[in-house]
Amino acid sequence: MPELYTSGNKNISQDAAPHNPLASFCLRPEKIKFETQEAQEKVILFLRQHPIVNIPWIVIVIVLFFAPRVLEFFPLLTFLPERFQQAALILWYLVLMAFALEKALAWFFNVYIITDERIIDVDFHNLIYKEVSDAKIDKIQEVKHTMGGVAGVMFNYGNIYIQTAGAQPSFDFESVPNPSGVTKILQELRTEEEIEAIEGRVR
Amino acid sequence: MEFEPLIWDIAKLFFLFAYLVYIVFAVVAVRQVYLMTQTIQVGFEFVLKTIAWFHLFISIAVLLYAFVTL
Repeated sequence: MPELYTSGNKNISQDAAPHNPLASFCLRPEKIKFETQEAQEKVILFLRQHPIVNIPWIVIVIVLFFAPRVLEFFPLLTFLPERFQQAALILWYLVLMAFALEKALAWFFNVYIITDERIIDVDFHNLIYKEVSDAKIDKIQEVKHTMGGVAGVMFNYGNIYIQTAGAQPSFDFESVPNPSGVTKILQELRTEEEIEAIEGRVR
Repeated sequence: MEFEPLIWDIAKLFFLFAYLVYIVFAVVAVRQVYLMTQTIQVGFEFVLKTIAWFHLFISIAVLLYAFVTL
């Protein structure tokens, strides 16, 4: 394991934040574990999209929640008996609940993990499709980050593009908080891996 | 045979089918939450599983309610 994260070296990785299961940026989280984690492997950084990316779908849900009120002014379903109007209303709210649940789960489980040995990208696209890919730190060739848009600049989040020499040539960490900090951590890890390789150290 | 009652019977079947499809979605959600909490553990598993089961319970309750009232 890189000494940067175990010794007394003071760097960005030392500013650990208290663990919050809903956090988007979590340094050296103690409670987080993943399926393919090796016994000695330590999670350095846990990331998911900035919470602000949830605002659009939350607004949609709120608007659609009150949409049936509009039908009171435009009575489109009055030709239906009362019990069917009620059934249609329940169906509307069920579909809305499904939409909100799917969006919330997609945000929660779409995570990026940086360990002392590799990067892992867990993509939870929807309820029936997920994708988990990883690459060794020493396979990383290039790391680039971008930050754009008013929200991105205001809330300090952006995208990180990682080129690797592994089976999956590129990793995209989308809308993650503090992209420059993440890039710096990746650079530190890459440097440490290079030193390990030169010194012939094996964990 | 009167036409109007037949229409409402078809409408009833439509709603029951829609609710049934929703139950399938809720079951898939429970299954997927279990799979994802195996993939990654962040200390929030109990809450997520409770929400998924509660969601499934609601969808079944709605189907039963519709079956009785429609």
